[in-house]
Amino acid sequence: MIDGLVRILVFQGIGEVIAKFVIPLVPGPVIGLVLLLAFLVWRGAVPEGVELVSATFMRYFGLLFVPAAVGVVLFWPHLQRQALAIAVALIGSVVATVAVAALLAKLLTRSGTDAP
Amino acid sequence: MRPDLPAIHEIWVYLSGSPLLALILTLAAYQAGVMIYERTRLNPLANPVLIAVTLIALTLAALDMPYATYFEGAQFVHFLLGTATVSLAVPIYKGLPSLRGRFLPLTAALLGGGATSIVSAVLLARLLGADETIVGGLYAKSLTAPIAMGVAERIDASPTLTAVFTVTTGILGAALGRFVLDAVRCREWWQRGFAIGVAAHGIGTSRAFSVHPEAGAYAGLAMGLHGVIGAIVIPWAVSTLR
Repeated sequence: MIDGLVRILVFQGIGEVIAKFVIPLVPGPVIGLVLLLAFLVWRGAVPEGVELVSATFMRYFGLLFVPAAVGVVLFWPHLQRQALAIAVALIGSVVATVAVAALLAKLLTRSGTDAP
Repeated sequence: MRPDLPAIHEIWVYLSGSPLLALILTLAAYQAGVMIYERTRLNPLANPVLIAVTLIALTLAALDMPYATYFEGAQFVHFLLGTATVSLAVPIYKGLPSLRGRFLPLTAALLGGGATSIVSAVLLARLLGADETIVGGLYAKSLTAPIAMGVAERIDASPTLTAVFTVTTGILGAALGRFVLDAVRCREWWQRGFAIGVAAHGIGTSRAFSVHPEAGAYAGLAMGLHGVIGAIVIPWAVSTLR
């Protein structure tokens, strides 16, 4: 497991350095993700350690953003005052997004070459 | 009272100055959230993150502990977000074969859905008079939370508000998704899953997995691809349009 963690941390490190000095607009971990993905495609398989670490992270993904989300207490009065606008924007947007994504996938499959 | 034991307030002063208290609080609240989520048979409204955040916020208020003090301890959990983001490469890699033969509909759904999520949220919020702090937190809300927060830092938006809007979006997408999909008469599992993954990232994905394995696989792929493409396109688009 440690070998997998080392590999992932190294890719994160390279990503952070590239984000700092070359592509400041993209978050470092995302650059690390793309590099690790390229490495996996090149290698043609997922090393056992990397697989294990990734599965563990995926299982407890939610826990990791709890500390930041608790920061909502700082915005509480702000959020209360604009609750209606926020609720309408979030609900409207998620409904529109699901509808548009589903319709595009459906319509382009029918007109595409791989229709059943 | 035995004289060799420190008074209770001394123990408290010691504990509240150490990162341990915030760590225990974070892990225990999340554990409680997971237990409630499992008791309600994985009802999307009983989301473990939402429950954990509520419990911690109430505890901080009761203890009169400032958020900054809490975060000093909880930052050890927070730090792992970046590492977890990198390890998202594994599920994306495994989902790549699913793209074969469906590249066009899936790419269109991803780009169209991604653009819709931002434009609709920003327009609706502005229309109803939300201020720029709130609107800034809406840009990255359909990306998976760790990437969304990284993007928020890049576009000078609040990572905290982004995290909260992201989690809420995931919960809403997981709860409302099937009604929307039925309304637009989308019946293929892979299309349903992918649409949920584009709109509602990780929370939608775990919902999709609990409904159908094919829907789950495509939702996971959509979440990963949306995260990567969003992280590249959103900061660039926002800085160009500003």
